[in-house]
This record gives sequence, structure tokens and C-alpha cells, in this order.
Amino acid sequence: MTLVGLAARNVLRNKFRAALTVAGVAVAIITFLLLRTVLWAWTAAADYAAKDRVVTRHKVTFIMTLPLSYAQSVRSLPQVKASTFCNWFGGKDPKHDKEFFGSLACDTETGFTVYDDMVVPPDVLDQWKHDAQGAIVGDVIAKKMNWKVGDRVTLQTGIYPKEGDWEFRISGIYQAKSKAVDRSTFIFHWKYLNDNLPANRKDQIGWIVSRVHDPSQAAGVGVAIDKVFDEKEIQTLSQDERAFNASFLASISAVLTAINIISVVILVIMALVLGNTIAMGVRERTNEYGVLKALGFSNKHVVMFIVVEAIVIGVAGGLLGLAIGYPFIEGGLGRFLEENMGSFFPYFKIDPRMSVLAMFLAVALAAAASVIPAISAARLKTVDALKRIA
Amino acid sequence: MDTATEKAPASHRDKAEALVSLRGIVKIYERGGEQLKILDGLDLEIAKGSYEALMGPSGSGKSTLLNLIAGLDRPTAGSIDIGGKRIDQLNESQLARWRADTIGFIFQSYNLMPVLTAVENVELPLLLTKVPSSERRQRAQTALRVVGLEDRMDHFPRQLSGGQEQRVAIARAIVNDPALIVADEPTGDLDRKSADDILGILEQLNRELGKTIVMVTHDPAAAERAKVIRRLDKGQLK
Ligand SMILES: Nc1ncnc2c1ncn2[C@@H]1O[C@H](COP(=O)(O)OP(=O)(O)O)[C@@H](O)[C@H]1O
Ligand SMILES: [Mg+2]
Repeated sequence: MTLVGLAARNVLRNKFRAALTVAGVAVAIITFLLLRTVLWAWTAAADYAAKDRVVTRHKVTFIMTLPLSYAQSVRSLPQVKASTFCNWFGGKDPKHDKEFFGSLACDTETGFTVYDDMVVPPDVLDQWKHDAQGAIVGDVIAKKMNWKVGDRVTLQTGIYPKEGDWEFRISGIYQAKSKAVDRSTFIFHWKYLNDNLPANRKDQIGWIVSRVHDPSQAAGVGVAIDKVFDEKEIQTLSQDERAFNASFLASISAVLTAINIISVVILVIMALVLGNTIAMGVRERTNEYGVLKALGFSNKHVVMFIVVEAIVIGVAGGLLGLAIGYPFIEGGLGRFLEENMGSFFPYFKIDPRMSVLAMFLAVALAAAASVIPAISAARLKTVDALKRIA
Repeated sequence: MDTATEKAPASHRDKAEALVSLRGIVKIYERGGEQLKILDGLDLEIAKGSYEALMGPSGSGKSTLLNLIAGLDRPTAGSIDIGGKRIDQLNESQLARWRADTIGFIFQSYNLMPVLTAVENVELPLLLTKVPSSERRQRAQTALRVVGLEDRMDHFPRQLSGGQEQRVAIARAIVNDPALIVADEPTGDLDRKSADDILGILEQLNRELGKTIVMVTHDPAAAERAKVIRRLDKGQLK
């Protein structure tokens, strides 16, 4: 028998209460990890963004289109290595109309050169180029919709009405090269879209994406591009992807701050609840601490007993939180978010550093929460403590 | 009875042999701004190897006096010398250390740790000593054998009768081989039969192992078993 062993055994005194407390700590840890993972997923996506890509869109809003000729103008700039253009198609599979996925009509020749983090094998790419109705889809959405190469797929869209359906054929599947890439996008030929539009809507593009020679100059290239169209009827706004993501994050910075604060508040609540439980146990056992002191145990020993007890609860709750949190956040929720909200959460995994921090905080806060009850128990005079009957 | 009843030879009055020596002890409690003088200039000497019963009406200060002797509390005035050490001058942590080395406690309500088995409860005071862990268990088992509980070593307190619990508590009190055993109403919660067993063990500890024992009791039958009976009244020993 050891002193630490005795302290640990006290945890199991009231098994029901101990179980509730451990569960409480676990829930707090899971919630903390979840909120932190949301933050990480967003900020990490910004970090993973391609540094050498500049997106050019209508100055007023994303929804408005640019003339096709703009793409040629951008491509001819010396700072631009390659560029492509896409339209947002807004397609839905009528058979699975609850499933959301991005659908883009992109320039056939340049699309996958510029979006090189969507990896398509050369032979597949070649096949696609020769099928006017061909589409390349992400591995996640393919699996979910059970699309196989060669399958015919019909999509509906409110953006581009057409007589008859928009018919496609799956040419192949792309793999994501980086964590920031949405694995649920449906990409097809811009020409197919354009050819099927009424004359007044033809030759309009949603945005232009350019790769620049020098990533460090991306912001400057954006300015140069916008300058080209400065005198034109339709002006543009160009941003590098990183800045674009950063501006997205900035636009939701209040939300980020709120999540940040809540994640901390949850831990504070956990500490308070834990402190209360510990204090309750200590109060009930005041007489025992009196006995220990009478036997010659010092105030330090009493503090140690109580703090170790709290640490045992913190460790148990932290481990339980991680044990449930990982499968829940990464396996269940994360998978769901990646598959269903891939454009917001392309990569939803727990930052390993966060799980270490969560574990550390569970233990440290438990210890901190027990310090006040521990010190007040230790301060109590031995003779007074002995008189307390639980 | 007005005077201490002495059944033993008066040898304990010899100062050289005194284990416990209290001089001019005053203990004042404050309660609601009111001062309660519980002990009022009390003198006491207890010889090494003696077995003394401390009697007196409820609230007369028996426990207060015993706690002073045991170094659990400090007097308002006066000196306490135990085995040549002035414990009234020790600070709290020194006192704790001193108690671990010197005093064996027996409480009225046993006060065993419910999460520990009998043998672990007895081992508890040894955790404060340098006794190696392998030997701790052995010593605890020996102490339990002295009180006749060798067949209950791995029982938890809730699995023991009151008398058995108190025997475990006695084993815990002697496992460190303390110079002085103090017992506050050790038979107060027990039936006659169990009480007699406990008193028998205390007597045996005193007679055969030479342990010095101070026992507070209000049970005349218990007090009769001691070598010396002292009465506390109005803050003085009579
Ligand atoms: N911590 C304390 N504060 C105030 N009064 C106390 C305290 N402890 C004991 N007393 C009072 O001192 C008196 C003696 O108490 P105690 O020594 O326990 O008596 P006994 O053990 O003889 O019954 C009682 O009147 C009790 O109320
Ligand atoms: Mg009393």
C-alpha cells in the first residue's frame, strides 16, 4: 500500500459520483476537442491553400460573371504561368437531392493544370478530354453516390435551365493531393455548358484562376490583373487563394473568437464542477483527514491526498474523452462534415497537439480545482476535524 | 471520590521516571466572544509504564487534556514535557512528526479508513517511517496477531464488528511501537463483552509489553482495570 494508492482508492468511494464526474470531464474534453477542431479545420484550410494561385472574379460579387475574353487577357500577362476558368454549375442529382456537392464547369485544356492538387491519371484525363459529356469527380462523392466510371449521371440546376436534362458520363475520379482540397467536387467541360446555353448567356465565365511564376508576388500579380480591366465596363477583383481564405476567416472572425472563448469557458465550467465534487467528498471525509493528521500525517500529505484524487479523476476523464472523442470527431462527425460540407471542412481531423493539450488541461484543471478544498481541509485544526462526523 | 485512586506503588511519582509531565496547564476556548477556561492550572505526571484512567463528568475537559498530552492541541499556558521533550513549543509540522514517532491513538469511534483492509489500516502509520515496504506488511500482521485478528487481515472495516474494528485500531496504535498510547473512550461505542475484550488487550499491552497508556473513560468498570484513576473536575485533577 502507498499514499498515492490510498488517494486513488478514495476516488472509488462513491462510484456513482466518480462515474458522473469522470463522464463530465470526458464530455468537456470532447466538446473542447470538437470546437478546437472546427477552428483548426478552418485555419488549416487557409494554411494549406495553394500559395501560387490567384483567383479573379467580378468586382461586385462572385455571382456575377465575366466575359470569356478576360481569360485570354489574363493568360497573356507575363507574370501568369497558366490560367483556367470555371463556372459554378450548382448541380444536383435528382435521385439524391439531399446530397450537396460542388459542381464546376472548367476549361478542358487548363482545368487540371491549374487545379493540380486534384490529381487525375494522364490516361483518364485523356479519355475525359475526348468525351464532351465527361466528368471527373472526387473520390468521396463517387463512393457516396456509387458512381462508377462509365456511369451516366443526370444533374439538375437552377442556374442554367436547359431543354432536356444535363447528361454526363463519369470519366474518372480525382484524388486530393492536399488536405485543403474538397473531395466531393464534380468537374465537367466548360464547353459542354457553353454550347447548351442560349445566345445571350454564352461566353460568360464565373472566375479565372491563374498560377503565377513567383508565389511571393501573388498579391502583386492580383493587382496587375485588376489593372488590366480597370478601364473596362466590368472590373475585377483578384486575390491569391491564401488572401481569399484569410478574408473568409476575417469575415467570420467573430464566430472564430466566440468558438475560441466557448472552448475555454467549457473547461472553466468543468473545473468548477470538479472543484465542487472534490469539495463535497472532502467535506464528507473531514473526519478521516483529522485521523490521518492525528496519526502524524502532515498538512502537505492531506493536500497531496486530495490533489492526487482529483488528478486521478482528471486522467480518467481525459482518457475517456479522448477515447470517445477520436472516433466521434474524426470517424463520425468529421467524416460527415468532409463528405457533406467538404467545401467548408475539407479536412476535419483532431490536431494531435490539441489532444495532448486537452489531456494536460484535464489533469491540470482537476489539480487546480482541488487546491482550494485541499488547503482548507489541511488548514482545519486536527482536533476540530476529528470532531466532524460525516 | 475526591482524590486520585492509586492501586499501584507510588513509584510513578519519581520525577526521573515520569514519561509525561504537565505543569500549570491552562486551556481557554473562546466561543461567541466568551472565554471558557476548561483547564485551570493543571499539573500532571504520568510514570513510564503506567496505565491511567481519566474520569470526570461530560464536558469537564477530559478529551481536551488527552489531546494536549497527545500533541494534538496546544495549551493556552503551561508546559508539556513528554519523554524529555517540550512539545508545547513545537510548531504544527514538528508536532505531526512527533506524534507519528511517539503516540498511538485509539478513538471512541475506531476511525479506520473504510477504503483500506484491516492490515492496510494497521500499515498506515508505517508509511510515515523509514520501514521498508516489505517489512511494513509483516509488522502490521504481527500487530494484528497481538490483538487476535490474524484471521481478519484482509477484511474491510465494514465487514468487521465494532469490537473487531477497535482491535484493528489498537493494532494500528501499537504498530509503530509508540512511547505512549492514548485512548479516548475506547469502549464507549461497544457492548459489555467487546468492551471487556478491548480492556483485556489494553491491560495486556501494559502488563506484558510495558506500554504506557492514558485512557479517558466514564465507565467505572473500565477505569477499574487501570493502575491509576484520576478525576478531572472544574479544570483541575483531583
Ligand atoms: N474547539 C472548541 N471550541 C470551543 N469549546 C470547546 C472546544 N472543544 C471543546 N470545547 C468545550 O470544552 C469543554 C470540554 O470539552 P471536552 O474536553 O471534549 O470534554 P469531555 O471530553 O470531558 O467531555 C466542553 O464544554 C466543550 O464544549
Ligand atoms: Mg470527550
